[in-house]
Amino acid sequence: MNFLLDLAIVMVSCLALGLASKYLKQASIPAYIIAGLLLGKSGLGLISSEASYDFISWLGKIGVILLMFYIGMEFNYKGIKEPRRLFAGCTDFVVNFSVGFLLGHVIGLNLVEAFILASAVYISSSAIVISSLIENKRLIYPEAETVVWLMVFEDIILAILLVILTSIMAGSLAMIPVSLAATLLLIVFILAFIRRLSNFIAPLFERDDEIPVLLIFALIFGFSALAYLMGILLHCHISEVIVAFFLGSALAGVKSFRKLLGTIISFKSLFLTIFFFSFGMMFEFQFATLNAADFVLALLALIVLSILGKFVSGAIIGKRLHGSLETGLRVGAYTTPRGEFSVVLIMIVMEIGVLELLPSIELLLALVVTYVIILSIVGSFFAKHGNRISKRMMVGFNKLMPRAHR
Amino acid sequence: MQISELPEIGTKYEIESPKGDKVAVIFLTTGEIELYVLESDAAKPTVTRLTTAEARRLGSVLTGALLTIEHEDVEVSFADISDLRIHIHVCPITKSVVGKSIEDLAIRKKTGVTVVAISRKGQSIVSPPPEMVFEEGDLIVAIGERAQIKACQQVILGPG
Repeated sequence: MNFLLDLAIVMVSCLALGLASKYLKQASIPAYIIAGLLLGKSGLGLISSEASYDFISWLGKIGVILLMFYIGMEFNYKGIKEPRRLFAGCTDFVVNFSVGFLLGHVIGLNLVEAFILASAVYISSSAIVISSLIENKRLIYPEAETVVWLMVFEDIILAILLVILTSIMAGSLAMIPVSLAATLLLIVFILAFIRRLSNFIAPLFERDDEIPVLLIFALIFGFSALAYLMGILLHCHISEVIVAFFLGSALAGVKSFRKLLGTIISFKSLFLTIFFFSFGMMFEFQFATLNAADFVLALLALIVLSILGKFVSGAIIGKRLHGSLETGLRVGAYTTPRGEFSVVLIMIVMEIGVLELLPSIELLLALVVTYVIILSIVGSFFAKHGNRISKRMMVGFNKLMPRAHR
Repeated sequence: MQISELPEIGTKYEIESPKGDKVAVIFLTTGEIELYVLESDAAKPTVTRLTTAEARRLGSVLTGALLTIEHEDVEVSFADISDLRIHIHVCPITKSVVGKSIEDLAIRKKTGVTVVAISRKGQSIVSPPPEMVFEEGDLIVAIGERAQIKACQQVILGPG
């Protein structure tokens, strides 16, 4: 089996579309997904064999693991405990998760599917949000801090959602507590393991040779494999992605580990790009099973309502934290982009999903794929023009309710 | 001064003038430094990105460490000792002193100037010993009052 040709297709197409997106000052995540869509199963079908599809998906999976590892590494447990940040995070979750959940229910998804849709719709794209804050020169404004901490809060919610989702996929109701318990046990074990051995590990990270990188990947894959084996043993699922998240946060406490940040970021960028490609590549539009008109209607409703949701939660947060509705609307605009986390969530569900639990998986999948592509592009636009948009909205508000904002 | 942490971005230091203008310095996790200036009535901030070296240079201007820079002549003044001005002078050595040491030339005795460092082939020798022999291409860094530096240039190193 020769994967060289397929890898060349992946890398060259991602490079070309990635470059194009940068020139157009757009987010690059949708570019990589679109590259996969164009060349994969629903497009030209250029990938040569099933084995190649599997191989590329596997490389992509490493990207997801590294992404979560990196997020765990950067996760700030101390800062997020501040009450105003917790308030902002909870508001964001309650409003936007409900929007997705209710809409999922209305379009006929079952509870599990609606839960998945709600998770994908709720979570903003840290990558797009943060880079647009820097590029659009928003860092001096007080709401930038609020937005950045919202992203941190969403990270921890993502971890919780993933634990819940993988547990649900355990199959039977009785297995859910087993799966949850096993996951928690493994997390505690990792934290204790790293803390115990930190004096032994720390000097290894200081070396200038290949040992630090080998050590990181040995730990990541070692614990992922452990999660997998435990899952088989207990007939349930333990998410290796969650394992990577907590491994990252445990290692962040080890001295001299931060030296490797650059290395991890480069591996993450490479494999995550392959992941976005593989996500697009594996996707097949099954128009036969979908009613086109209903689908478009559901998609439009999802887009409009989820954007509105972020503005509503932003407005509440702005009113409470900054005493200004307009600032809140800006928070809403900045957090509109969705991206990597929605994709990661849906990919994990696809991988371990028990099909009996997910009768409308085709619809769900098609919805999320198109939703993420559209919202990553539209969201970047909103984030870029957040100021103007929120100003316009304020003018509208004041016309509608002239008394409310004197 | 307000300090705030921006996870995944860096650390922000912000100061607001009485007029309401804001200046923020953000140390990005990438190692670069962004400088924001936002006038109170401006719609958009002005932003520039600096390397560490540029930021350090700008910083020393802002703290008032550098008052005048005339060619390679730097005058340093101190906030706490207002009457003290030290001139730091950088000059290449002339052929006439190659092979002689600081002691041979009696730089300190004749002119009052102290040689604090020698830059040789891109490497700096701080506080060189008196028996150190000058080589071709050396740059010397000397401190003293303006008049002393002038004397040193004329008497020891010769014109040019």
